[in-house]
Amino acid sequence: MLSQSRLYGYAGRILRVNLTNREIKIERLDEKFARMYIGGRGFNIARLYYEVPPGVSPLSPENKLMFATGPVAGTGFPLGARLNVSAKSPQTGILGDSNVGGHFAAEMKYAGFDQVIIEGASSTPVYIYIDDGNVEVREADELWGMPISRAYDALRKEIGDPRVQIAIIGPAAENMVKFSGIFFNRTRPAARTGLGTVMASKKLKAIAVRGEGYVEVAKPSLFEKLVEEVELEVYTHEQYWPRRIMGTSRILLAANKIGILPGNHFTEPIVPYAFDVSGEKLALKYNVKNRACFSCIVPCSRVFVVKNKNEAFMSEGPEYEALAGMTVRIGNSDLDRALKAIELVNDLGLDAITTSEVISWAMELYSKELLSTEETHGLKLEWGNMDAVLELIVDIAYRRRFGGILADGVVEAAEKLGKGIEYGFHVKKLEMIQADPRGLKGYGLGFAVSTRGADHLRSEPFVELSDDPELGLKMFGEPEATLRLGVRGKGKLVAYYENICALVDSLGVCKNLAENMNILDYSKTAKLIEAVTGFEVTPVEVRMIGERVVNLERAYDIREGVRRVHDTLPERFIKEPLKKGPSAGHVIELDEMLMEYYEVRGWNKQTGIPTREKLLELGLLDVVEDFVSRGILPACE
Amino acid sequence: MVGHIVVDPSKCTGCRYCELWCSYTHEKVFSPSLSRIRVIKDDLIGMDYPIVCKHCSNAPCIQVCPTGALYRDKNGLVKLLKEKCTKCGACIEACSYGALFRNPVDLTPLICDLCGGKPVCVSKCPTNALSIYPLMEVHLGKSEHLGKQYTVAVEDYKSILERWGILVKSE
Repeated sequence: MLSQSRLYGYAGRILRVNLTNREIKIERLDEKFARMYIGGRGFNIARLYYEVPPGVSPLSPENKLMFATGPVAGTGFPLGARLNVSAKSPQTGILGDSNVGGHFAAEMKYAGFDQVIIEGASSTPVYIYIDDGNVEVREADELWGMPISRAYDALRKEIGDPRVQIAIIGPAAENMVKFSGIFFNRTRPAARTGLGTVMASKKLKAIAVRGEGYVEVAKPSLFEKLVEEVELEVYTHEQYWPRRIMGTSRILLAANKIGILPGNHFTEPIVPYAFDVSGEKLALKYNVKNRACFSCIVPCSRVFVVKNKNEAFMSEGPEYEALAGMTVRIGNSDLDRALKAIELVNDLGLDAITTSEVISWAMELYSKELLSTEETHGLKLEWGNMDAVLELIVDIAYRRRFGGILADGVVEAAEKLGKGIEYGFHVKKLEMIQADPRGLKGYGLGFAVSTRGADHLRSEPFVELSDDPELGLKMFGEPEATLRLGVRGKGKLVAYYENICALVDSLGVCKNLAENMNILDYSKTAKLIEAVTGFEVTPVEVRMIGERVVNLERAYDIREGVRRVHDTLPERFIKEPLKKGPSAGHVIELDEMLMEYYEVRGWNKQTGIPTREKLLELGLLDVVEDFVSRGILPACE
Repeated sequence: MVGHIVVDPSKCTGCRYCELWCSYTHEKVFSPSLSRIRVIKDDLIGMDYPIVCKHCSNAPCIQVCPTGALYRDKNGLVKLLKEKCTKCGACIEACSYGALFRNPVDLTPLICDLCGGKPVCVSKCPTNALSIYPLMEVHLGKSEHLGKQYTVAVEDYKSILERWGILVKSE
């Protein structure tokens, strides 16, 4: 059935839409390129590096917004339908990158595309409709201004097909709030690093895609066997039922037990009301059914209904990040109101993590009397004041009053107010997630070195939560590597899982399978790549794909000015020991871990720049030449 | 005994694993558009609703087929003789469940064939939302003379019966 020129596993084509002149181009996927970068995140950075050089302003038409998926998406491989979105970030000025589930990635493949690249900018609001290879840029005046849920409903009705998959932005992005996400259908966002804002700068309200094509695997019997093996491993995994019952919301109570919650803006690592706002509570009282991403056998998303005497509403989720962000981080113990706040954040199109940081940051300043009610335009930002929080979320999205101060992220908010930067928790201008790195040291190192700023999903060294020294000894030759409060071996741990993350984000597979359940190692991934694409690769070559992607992303950031000095964490985590709970007394020993990390990575320990040898080993000669021409590396060593 | 696939929409997560493995089993490629089962979804209300042929005993698709391409086989299943099919689409129109789909490649209807008795969608479904049941139909007469409350109750109860594999046919 497969045409001669099409690669197994791939759709085989790249779509470019230029919104300035409305030109549509379709390019063929090159096999050598596919072998080097596999797909998804790899495809995106490989083009972004060359097509969006330094000097491009993130909100200018010269920035490019890229959507890519990998060979696994659209096949029947479990947990395998992820999409990666990338551009230069308006929030951080470095790599902007976010990964999302749902059904869009598979639909894009069935429509005939592995990657969609948006260039230029329209002068009026538009949306793009991709229908089995027919691509149209359509007017979207009536959709502009609509919140996510309304715009999604209006657009699927206009297209007249319930199976259409839609990537969409909300009012926050339209108002150029720098931490706006791209939402898929409704509640699945590629939220981090302000990619929705990039989309809005192009006046692109949505991309709708529908495809009736197919994906064919190269070695069906090997593929079937692999799927059966993975199914069995998943169904018998100790995390299977907790994930199915609670999704990531289960983390909240677990994080309370080990004292790593971001309570009251990282001052309360344990809270007495944890159960009342936990995934367990949601499962007991709110959830009505489970939902899954495309081709996923671990349905970790939950439909919930809120029923109280004042109101009733339903939605899907929440994940741990949004849940902890709208509860413990801002000192709120009212779950109903937290769910309302999360719904609002999603519907307006904001990143829940950054939103929770800017609000909890302002609350900490307010509690220290560093921020007055004049400055907050009358908002009493006491811990847990949800009336104020709900009002503030809307004001952020519309850049009104005090919301306008917060709408560009915590660093710029501190600049505008002229204070509070020491309490602004970010790395490279990306706000920190809901875990205190003092009690989770591998994660902390991961935040410091991540190629997109403070985020766990670039490394997700979940095995350190096992607190099993045998595992660390076996995997990394260091028992401490898999102790959450350990220090030695964390460089190896983080580099290993960074490579795996980059690999699975490129394949289109979910991290819950590869990282958290720890099911996809290099040899199994090599078999998967062979079964799907027919490329015969060794486990070492597979490792190098992930490593290549991480190094190219690092090179992108280096070219934008990132150095060793930027691989750091906010001072509170390095200097102030945690005051209570099971992680009390700990700070994060970042320097020691960093040195080990650079050593493992083969990067210069003084500058943090990848060495010539490492870049050449990974086949990145072009990057070496680019670095030499820019004076980042000397002409010869 | 005639069998058919019974769906429990409250258990369905909308992962479409059934669609993928149905198309793979029948057509050797992964393509929801070649699947004989389809999950109809609505992300605003959390709906995931699989639709698949029920092999009704009084099948309108067979009745409207102008060429006899659709027929009932010796096991009681609705089957298609592809070479007789004129691709007119009358069967797709006639099915009150919308359980026949047009094959985008050759334009013939796609109909569940129960994979010869061991349906792959049932064995692959991660949440047991699909099962295979022997065909069982109950016929209900007009309910008016039993009163309004009875009518309300029985209309809602039909969907529960269907999840137990019991098709309700109104006279």
